Amino acid sequence: MDPNQIQAPVENYANPKTCLFHVLFKGAALAFYILSALFFNSFVIIFVVTVLLAALDFWVVKNVSGRILVGLRWWNEINDLGESVWKFESLDQESLSRMNKKDSWLFWWTLYLAAAAWFILGVFSLIRFQADYLLVVGVCLSLNVANIIGFTKCKKDAKKQFQQFASQTIASRFQSTVQSAFTLV
Amino acid sequence: MSQGDTVPLHPSSQSDIDEIENLINESIQSGPGTVLAARPPSPTRPSIPVSSSPFMQSNLPPLPPSSSAQKVTPVPVPPPLPVVSNSSNSQGGSQGIGASGFGSPPNTLTEPVWDTVKRDLSRIVSNLKLVVFPNPYREDPGKALRDWDLWGPFFFIVFLGLTLSWSASVKKSEVFAVAFALLAAGAVILTLNVLLLGGHIIFFQSLSLLGYCLFPLDVGAVVCMLKDNVILKMVVVSVTLAWSSWAAYPFMSSAVNPRRKALALYPVFLMYVSVGFLIIAIN
Repeated sequence: MDPNQIQAPVENYANPKTCLFHVLFKGAALAFYILSALFFNSFVIIFVVTVLLAALDFWVVKNVSGRILVGLRWWNEINDLGESVWKFESLDQESLSRMNKKDSWLFWWTLYLAAAAWFILGVFSLIRFQADYLLVVGVCLSLNVANIIGFTKCKKDAKKQFQQFASQTIASRFQSTVQSAFTLV
Repeated sequence: MSQGDTVPLHPSSQSDIDEIENLINESIQSGPGTVLAARPPSPTRPSIPVSSSPFMQSNLPPLPPSSSAQKVTPVPVPPPLPVVSNSSNSQGGSQGIGASGFGSPPNTLTEPVWDTVKRDLSRIVSNLKLVVFPNPYREDPGKALRDWDLWGPFFFIVFLGLTLSWSASVKKSEVFAVAFALLAAGAVILTLNVLLLGGHIIFFQSLSLLGYCLFPLDVGAVVCMLKDNVILKMVVVSVTLAWSSWAAYPFMSSAVNPRRKALALYPVFLMYVSVGFLIIAIN
């Protein structure tokens, strides 16, 4: 057998459809906003379609691609005392390490690039003193930034939880081993 | 079940190990088909839509507010959390994580996409029913609208803007932009007003509430769009205006000091009146 054939194949995207949707709505929102000035005269259509695409993208990233591509999830709850609590959920360590590297690279980089693109577009509309277009850009940018912040916090929280859990189980197992060793004697 | 055959341990470690063991046994016994909350269940709330994981929600909220964001202090909760995902994922994991995302593991990380959509839609409907229609939990704002979301308000504001824009014969874009900006900025300012009066209300919860209270005005705007009679418009708008104010009243008034109730409620009423005028005046 040719030894080259036994080598592991180059890792491909594990979830091509999810990756596609992750990029699709972001790209559609940006493209529509940039190109619409050529075709539509009406601000209403531009606003509604762009914001709708951005909102759909927010939902897809938060609920679908975040879960499937990087195994993270975040949301907000109001507890019984009436305080708002941010909750984070993540897959266990083993599954996380099995996540496709290409998937997560795509996930994070498209998030950052989209936010940067909206920021640049915002600067343009500010320079041209177009307040209504600035409104559109502001809405889309805030949706993107919200996702970035949420997922970054979730990742940090996941790391912290694993460390806590690992140290806790190690401590309790150690204790139980020592105890059982003593009682069996 | 396992307590009988273990040697007696130190009480604190025993309880930890018991907790972990119980969770593992529970999840092994229950298998992939049942529901396991990935966090300890809170008391049942009236508005939770019945779905596979009643306590996991997805929202539209943007930035975490720096003043009101509080993480739950880590008590025994963090250790069981990874264990549950661990054990449940090890059974359903290979089919859940990965290309399909389908399968029936108990936590929301690996649920099918359609479940998420259904859950969000049913939450919008239940929130709408809570806010706008009479129900026994209206007087307690802590309970009602607990599961706030911003999708409902987003749809209502855009719909109202579109309806007004459609009814306008000239300057459609300006009408839409004005309506949207008025409603969005108005909701933010009203919430800030309550917070500055020393009221206890959560920013996004209040935004969500004010958005849902626009539903009656949406209905009024549609009716006015279809029939162009001025008297009819005035009647319809005043009815829907009263309905919107009635819907917003309990939440706003209970959030502030009783002596400042009027200060909190008056701007809300004013905003709805101005939207009402906008509906009447458009032709």
